[in-house]
This record gives sequence, structure tokens and C-alpha cells, in this order.
Amino acid sequence: MSQAINARPPQELVSWPEPGFTRVPLNVFADAELYAWEQDLIFRGPAWSYLGLEIEIPATGDYITTQVGDTPVIVVRKPDGSINALVNKCVHKGSIICYESRGKRDRVHNFTCPYHNWIYDFDGNLTSIAFEKGVQGKGGMPAGFDKSRHRLIRLRVETIRGLVFGTFSERTPPLREYLGPVMVQHIERTLHGKPRILGRYSQFMRNNWKLYVENSRDNYHPSLLHAFFSTFKLNRLSAEGGTRQDDKSWHHITFTKRHTDRGDQAYDSGMIRAMKQDYGLKDPSLIDQWMEYPDQITNSIQSIFPGFVLQQILNSIGTRQVITRGVNDCELVWTLLGFEEDTPEQTYVRIKQSNLVGPAGLVSMEDGAIGGFVQKGIKGDLDNVAVIEMGGREVGSQPTRATETSVRGFWKVYRELMDV
Amino acid sequence: MTSPAVTPAAKNLEIPAAAREAIARLMMEYVHAIDNNELERWPRFFTEKCLYQIISRADHELGRPIGAWFCDSRGMLEDRVSSIREVNVFEPHVYRHVIGPTEVLDAGNGAYTTQTSYIVVRTMHDGEMTLFSAGRYVDEITVEDGTARLRKRVVVTDSWRYDTLIAIPI
Repeated sequence: MSQAINARPPQELVSWPEPGFTRVPLNVFADAELYAWEQDLIFRGPAWSYLGLEIEIPATGDYITTQVGDTPVIVVRKPDGSINALVNKCVHKGSIICYESRGKRDRVHNFTCPYHNWIYDFDGNLTSIAFEKGVQGKGGMPAGFDKSRHRLIRLRVETIRGLVFGTFSERTPPLREYLGPVMVQHIERTLHGKPRILGRYSQFMRNNWKLYVENSRDNYHPSLLHAFFSTFKLNRLSAEGGTRQDDKSWHHITFTKRHTDRGDQAYDSGMIRAMKQDYGLKDPSLIDQWMEYPDQITNSIQSIFPGFVLQQILNSIGTRQVITRGVNDCELVWTLLGFEEDTPEQTYVRIKQSNLVGPAGLVSMEDGAIGGFVQKGIKGDLDNVAVIEMGGREVGSQPTRATETSVRGFWKVYRELMDV
Repeated sequence: MTSPAVTPAAKNLEIPAAAREAIARLMMEYVHAIDNNELERWPRFFTEKCLYQIISRADHELGRPIGAWFCDSRGMLEDRVSSIREVNVFEPHVYRHVIGPTEVLDAGNGAYTTQTSYIVVRTMHDGEMTLFSAGRYVDEITVEDGTARLRKRVVVTDSWRYDTLIAIPI
């Protein structure tokens, strides 16, 4: 279970110019051998990766397929209601076993490899081999072949508020401990109801996966790169803000709140209709909203190491899953959510606000391109470094958004796990 | 000599020639307005109250409501155009749409329900060309005074994966 089988040690591939996290050698975004190490040391290392939503596999035998880094994974609901995650690779020849994005297996067939019909149960045990005893006394597996010595690799699985996470490593702390109380509280706060999928799409990006993850933790860029809010005078919606991290700075939340200094009864109850005279939009109903959260936070982006993002943009709730696609590309799977408890009117608000996010998001579409701009820009200067000093040189929570503290947090974890 | 209709539904749909022509003209002008970078014309192909949506085939079949775009008024379409022109940051690129013949599926409720296949080739400023999107338009079209307008256009994209961004309408 390694991808870096012929790679030189990470320490020979990259050298940090100084201690700390304010400089990032640019070749980390372009080196194929490092990419292989990242698969081993991060995605199959002591980290929890997001696998999907519990509601996608409500009944026994329901499964989805996904990836942890490059590794294909099946996530299946067991008869006792618990969830298993198995590497989607037959031990015989290595074929993927499940080749659809989702499906259902009854107990009899379980997981059958399409190539030679080797069959596994929901725990990944190899239970049957086609022609094991041969045909008419000829052929078959040798007498000493022990099926119990061959099985699908099983990940550890834990869930929080309907989000399913998996990890390959026994060293990874339990999920809630890994996230820390600040992150746990925010996940539980954002996903306050029974989630319901309103839409899903993927955004293919021409950049290394880490450039997107950095972007998701970079609260210095939004007001500069994404001009939609300021151009259409929507800034009034969000006044104060800040950056929160867990104790180890592995994870990140950026948030903005509406003005809290003056009470406004109308603002606190029910739907807030955006008025045409207040904005530059011809149809400001795009940003009709309601104050969904008692904490008055109108926008928050929560980035969980390595590649999971939970978003709240006004009333647009969603998950984003980073999928690696080689050293130069990555993919972001967006799932837009509502809650079963929503009124039809609230659902409609979420649908309209979907215009703000995703590959066509009025606020966020630039994020799909900006990583590609960096990937193009660095090509000739891989011996150079990025400079990450906004908001100081340290990591940790800060009462401001004019900071790159969580980008530094990412590189802190990266250096720890990669030992570079 | 007329050839027999293949589907029973087609037999019952008597579409006036003028309406057929108006619909064909709408389809043609719509794609040329986008491909020729006349985006300001694009909202005018819709009725004042309208629906324009880009959604993946998978989500469309599952009945999920959210896709990549969702505009329910001509004002929202115009806001999109303003945003493309003045706000959003992306590498310059153009589309080339190729559309297939329009099939009229239904003619009730004051509109023709149609479907039309399309492909979009995207050409970047540096010359890179990609097959950006393939799918079909599922439309509701009104015809008044010889002018066809979209009351509803659902762009059902065969793929759920979009390369980089969808800044320009399909």
C-alpha cells in the first residue's frame, strides 16, 4: 500500500529555506515524486478524509464509490447500520470492483469483481473465487490457497452530523479528537438539521490539489479576487469576521458576521428581502435570505485537513471534497445541501443562492481558475518560494480576516506529516 | 409525399409553420449571440418571468433542484451579464455552439416544449480548444406575434464535471 515505491525520500526532493511556515518551496506544487509521498504520508497517513454523506447510503447494502487521494474506495452500509469503507481494488488482478458512483448490493452477491468474479463481503473478506475447485476436476486454485489471507483493505470509519470520514492509519486519533472542539462545534452548528442533497457537480481544476486547499484557508483573498459582493454593494451583509483554528492549526474556519452593534427585529425574524434601491442588482432576490444561525454568522468556510470544506454562504450550505488528479490537476466535488426541516420557501432561497457558489458561482468562480494561474506562473521558477506573511509569522486563531494564518497552518501540518 | 411519423406523439402535434420558423430562428440567434460575444442580447431571448438553469444529467434525472446556474427572471440574466462583463475574473475564452434539430415534444399550457442537442467547443485566448459541454436544451417556448421566446431553458449537461468554470452561459 504505497505509491512512492520508487520515489526518493521527501527530504531529498524538497528543502524548506527556513524553519516555520512563512516560505513555501514552489516545487511542492510540481514534483511528481512528492505527490506520490503525499498519497502515502497524508492521504493514507494519520488524517481523516471525507468520504460522503450518511444519507447517500441509507439502507443495508447501499454503497457509494469515492477516492481518498488517488485510492478508490467503496463506502457501504452494513446490516447493523454501521458503515464500512473498503479499498475498491480486487486482490486478484487489481481491478476496481464497483464501477458506478453508487449502487446497492444484496447480501447474496455482495461485492463481485467484474473481471473473474472474486466475491467479497461488506467487511472486505474474500468469500468466493470463481472456479476455485476447477471445472470437471481440472484447473482451479492450488490446494493450499487460503482465501482468508486475501482481503480488501478496510479503513477506519467515523461520522459526525451525517458526514462520513475514513482513515487508513491506526495512528490517527479518533475523529472528534482529530477535529478538536472548535471544529466539532462548528460542524454541528452548520449542519443543524437532517441533510438533504439539493445538487451535486464537480469542478475540474488545472492545479495541484494543495493550491486549492490553500485557497480554501486563505481569507486574505476573497474581497480582492472575488469582486461580486463589493461591486453590487453587498458588503453591508458582513461586517466583522475572524479566523478560528483547532489547537494544532490543522483545520480552519473563516467567518463573517452581520453588524451586531444595533438590534434589528426585522432582521432577526423570517425572510430578509433584498431591496433593489440598496444594491446594484437588477433582481436582488438573488440574495433574499434568512438569519439561519443564532450566532449571526452570514458566511463561513471551514476547511478540514487534508481536503474537506464545509461552506455556509448566506443560506447556501454545502460540502466540497478535494480529489487528487495527478500532480498538475485536481477535482472538487460540490454537494449542495438543504435540510428536511426546511420550508419550501427556504429551499427556494437555497436554490437561488446556489448562483453564488460552484464553478459558475458569482462569488466563487474565480477559485476554479486562480490555482491554474499559479500553476502556470511557477513553471519556470520552481527553485523560488511563496511568501506567506500576512497577519504575522505564526499560526493560530486571529480576530481578523486580513491574515494567512491558516495557510501557514496547512504548511505546518504538511511539514510534520511529510517530515520535510 | 409525406413520410409516416415514427412516434405516435408526433402525429398529434400540428405545429404551424410560422411557429416552427420562429422557434428555429430563436435557436439560431441564441447560440450566435453567445458565440459572437453579444451577451447583452442573451437575456432578450427569454420572457420577463423565466427560468434558465444549467444542471447535470444525473441530477436532472434524480429530480434535484440545484445545478450550476439558476436564474428565474430576466433581471437575473442581466445581472449575470453585468457580472461577466465587469466583475468576474477569468481567462478570455469563446464558445462555439453546434445545435441539432429541435424536437417539439408537447404544445400545451401556452408554450411548446422542445428538446435540442448541443455541443460547445471552448477556445481559450492561447488557442487551447476543448469540448467543453455536450447535452440538450429542454425548453418551453412561447410564440407571440411571430417571435419565439424562452419561458424556460434547462441546459442538461451530459457530464457533471465542469472544467475550471462556467462564466459564460451555454
